[in-house]
Amino acid sequence: MPDVTQTTSQEELMISLQDLRLTYANAAGGVEVLRGIDLSVAAGETLSIVGPSGSGKSSMLMIVAGLEQASGGAVRIAGRDFGGLSEDALAEFRRDNIGIVFQNFHLIPTMTALENVAVPLEFAGRDDAFGRAEEVLTQVGLGHRTDHYPGQLSGGEQQRVALARAFAVRPKLLLADEPTGNLDGETGGKVIDLLFDLQRDADTTLLLITHDPALAERCARQIKLVDGHIVDDSAAVNGRTEATAAAT
Amino acid sequence: MRGSLMLAARLARRELRGGLKGFRIFLGCIALGVAAIAAVGSISSSMLSGLEKNGRVLLGGEVELRLIHRAATAEELAWMEEHSSEISTTAEMRAMARSSANPDDRRLVEMKAVDDAYPLYGSFGIEPEIGITEALAKDGGLWGAVADESLLSNLGMEIGDELQVGDVRYRIRGTVGYEPDRATRIFTLGPRLLVSRASLAESGLEQPGSLIYYHYRMTLPEGVGYDAWKAELEADHPRAGWRLRDLDTAAPGIERFVERVSLFMTLVGLTALLVGGVGVANAVRSYLDSKTATIATLKCLGAPGRLVFQVYLLQVLALSLLGIAAGLVLGGITPSLAGPLLSQQLNFTITGGLHLQPLALAALFGVLTTLAFGLWPLARAQGLPAATLFRDLVAPARSRPPNWALVAIAAAGGALIATAVLGTSDSLFALGFVGGAIAALLAFRLAALGVTDLARRLPRPRHPGLRLAVANLHRPGNPTGSVVMSLGLGVTVLVAIALIQGNLNRQVVEEMPRDAPGFYFIDIQPEQIEAFDALVLETEGVSKLDRVPMLRGRIVAVNGVSPGDMEIPSEIGWVFRGDRGLTWAETPPDNGEIVEGAWWPADYGGPPLVSLDAEVGELLDLHPGDRLTINILGRDVEVEIANLREIEWGDLQINFVMIFSPGLLEAAPQTHIATVQIAPDKETLLERRVTDAFPNISAIRVKEALESFAQVLRSISVAVTATAGVTVISGVLVLAGAIAAGHHRRIYDSVVLKVLGATRARIGAAFLMEYGLIGAITAIIATIIGCIAGYIVVTEVMESDFAFMAGPVLVTALGATAITLAFGFLGTWRALAQKAAPLLRNE
Repeated sequence: MPDVTQTTSQEELMISLQDLRLTYANAAGGVEVLRGIDLSVAAGETLSIVGPSGSGKSSMLMIVAGLEQASGGAVRIAGRDFGGLSEDALAEFRRDNIGIVFQNFHLIPTMTALENVAVPLEFAGRDDAFGRAEEVLTQVGLGHRTDHYPGQLSGGEQQRVALARAFAVRPKLLLADEPTGNLDGETGGKVIDLLFDLQRDADTTLLLITHDPALAERCARQIKLVDGHIVDDSAAVNGRTEATAAAT
Repeated sequence: MRGSLMLAARLARRELRGGLKGFRIFLGCIALGVAAIAAVGSISSSMLSGLEKNGRVLLGGEVELRLIHRAATAEELAWMEEHSSEISTTAEMRAMARSSANPDDRRLVEMKAVDDAYPLYGSFGIEPEIGITEALAKDGGLWGAVADESLLSNLGMEIGDELQVGDVRYRIRGTVGYEPDRATRIFTLGPRLLVSRASLAESGLEQPGSLIYYHYRMTLPEGVGYDAWKAELEADHPRAGWRLRDLDTAAPGIERFVERVSLFMTLVGLTALLVGGVGVANAVRSYLDSKTATIATLKCLGAPGRLVFQVYLLQVLALSLLGIAAGLVLGGITPSLAGPLLSQQLNFTITGGLHLQPLALAALFGVLTTLAFGLWPLARAQGLPAATLFRDLVAPARSRPPNWALVAIAAAGGALIATAVLGTSDSLFALGFVGGAIAALLAFRLAALGVTDLARRLPRPRHPGLRLAVANLHRPGNPTGSVVMSLGLGVTVLVAIALIQGNLNRQVVEEMPRDAPGFYFIDIQPEQIEAFDALVLETEGVSKLDRVPMLRGRIVAVNGVSPGDMEIPSEIGWVFRGDRGLTWAETPPDNGEIVEGAWWPADYGGPPLVSLDAEVGELLDLHPGDRLTINILGRDVEVEIANLREIEWGDLQINFVMIFSPGLLEAAPQTHIATVQIAPDKETLLERRVTDAFPNISAIRVKEALESFAQVLRSISVAVTATAGVTVISGVLVLAGAIAAGHHRRIYDSVVLKVLGATRARIGAAFLMEYGLIGAITAIIATIIGCIAGYIVVTEVMESDFAFMAGPVLVTALGATAITLAFGFLGTWRALAQKAAPLLRNE
């Protein structure tokens, strides 16, 4: 497999995975989930990951988010080596650099839309947490629903709040795990449009997991994961120039 | 750190806006335990402050001097009159009262003869309303008297009837409504009879050596302080042998009693809080389980574990404070509610009002319980991996809390124990109690683990209902541990109390020693001895007569050291507290074994020797050769210990802590005391014959004396059982919580079983079998531990024989099983009513 990083220095890469391995221990022995992944993603690049259930997509995303510890290999995100970082150091890194959007939204039910969006800003100790939160909520078209609780919002609205929350800290990297999985086609389409708009405005690197080939196509680069291996990388076929261009 | 706490507080507040759902049991557990402790503490403080405020009334003066056997000499009386602005003299004794109309009807009375100045403080209430002087005055040749209502009903008399005591006839002019200075005595042997001090002189009862207590109550002269007064008294009359009391020691007996009972009840309340602690842990755990997604989300958004811990700790503490506040309100108002009732029972005014110290102590107990039981699940939540958001979790990852959390839990637990032990009046007892409670909790935890393990290993039962029931005992998230621990501890306390109470009652009333005497006769004058012996022995039914001389004296020094300067173990404190009966004998008594030293020769004529209770000797490290100084009738006498003697107090025979050698006491004024064994149907005959022939001799029926003691015991045990009931209610709350926590799973189970063709009856039976099994197992374990606890208290603390009582134990055990079944049934009923379709469609 050709190495797209040849033309990009380590510092300019947003994601650098080398020989990434993940094994879960269980009673029956070990289950190898990721079996030596090598992946480089340049800053500002959009990348979709497809693959059947159990292929290791979510596991890879979790490792990139610092939510799961790799069993082997090297992980470098936004120039920071994850090796040896404590759980709390990873949490702080995530707070400052990474936004995550889930299939199930995962808004905090006891907080209003505004408070949900403000939380990561509050974690970062930002004095303008609520001002910025309101600004982003207006940006996603929910400026009039800031005081509503998640239970009072539709699925699409909830996912827009989740997007606002993910973009509020202006993350360098956005991770999205099946962001339209729980939405109907039309609502999902609007949410995705919004996601790409926000990504483009902030020049955020995007890592998107999806089962939907059309959605995957909207990313500049697609990879396919099967059984813990990358079996297909569009950059190897037609994305090389684009990826390299994006990185430079 | 401060910023992080502020942020944590903000996030906690947002979460708490969601309401208290899921925390009702938590609040109930904390509120109940705190309320119990606060109530006990507040009532006891109210009583103690009532004693303090009413000191003058209770004592009958600002200072009191008491003499036994003798009245104050003219010189002593002159001193008192000179050193007081007011003085009142009373004399108290036991005497036989006879109805003049039916001379065969007689009753032992607690007679009190008062002078015109009585009472110096408070007022004596008489019904019908007449003045005390008028009521007691001599009118038409008859002295007046005021009696307890019970004496009149006992003797079949009415107001206006006549009654004879000794040589004096009295006309009953009214009944006792309120006696201001009565509360200082807890046990009495008969109803009160109030007469005039002057009438006593005519009664012929005031004989040398008669057991009469003379009280001299005084108001201090203007501008004279108590300490100066006391110093002058001691300088002028160093050897009078009187007992001095002031306002601080107005009712030391009641104070001790209140402190003892409240200590015990506080500890029982603490047990309720410990049981509630299990509920706290359960509630915090299930709350945090329901917050798994939120916690993981916060972590995904960059919250460090510490912040997560703070957010939930603050919530739990806030809720705990809410529960504590509710408990404090409940506990704090109890004195106002119970005060009037207790005032009536105890005969002194108990005021309501807030007592901050007991409330603060109860609040502290509440906070420490929350921490000790809540920190474990909280610390585990901190370690919850954020990755759970991406996975469907079958069972949440369970891990041991980090080391710092274990240290914090140990610190909170340690502080809880320290507060319990140091905050009470008897640290050793408290330590034993708390240690026992913790050991019991651990035993229940182990037992629960054993049960789940056993259920796992059991061969699969063939009956499908039983199979499901057994499987539910050990499935992940089973309620077995919570139920066994929570309900178990409450039931253990109840079983132990039932056994202790039963054993006490048995000893006091039911199983009197077979050779227990039927009577004590007191105040037998030396010149009446022969005639008394002859009369008793010729009475039909009498099988044994023991008679010994007796006078009273007080230990004023041990090897030259005053008891006030010694550390006297509480078990033998009573020996030094007041006057003790003394006797003398040539030969050793039949019912006391000499364990050290030797008895004196029958014809001994040397310096005075004494035979001392072996327990006193052992605890004070006294041996033959050591010396005691005893004040007898105002004279200090030094005697040498000749031997130590084991005394069997339970046999109800005449026992003396000190028996003197002949030569010292014979010449002193004294009376004799006798015990008589007699066939029960001849008791009345003997009482009549003796008291007819010797009006000055009083007969005490042992059964009646024990009955009045048992009556006091019963009132105490009602209070203790009520407090223990709180423990069970706490346990039931935890049980209800545990059942509620499993409700969703139970609905799911029942729906799936219905889909598979199970009838409601079959599913219901399976669930009930599960709760029946848990209830029965809990009851069995609790019974075993309760019996062990009861056995230890009865044999080690009360030092008496233990008898197992199947009745109360069985009732308690069956009750526990029934409660578990009832709550299980309620929960199951709701689960069975759930329609299958909506649940399946959602799935």
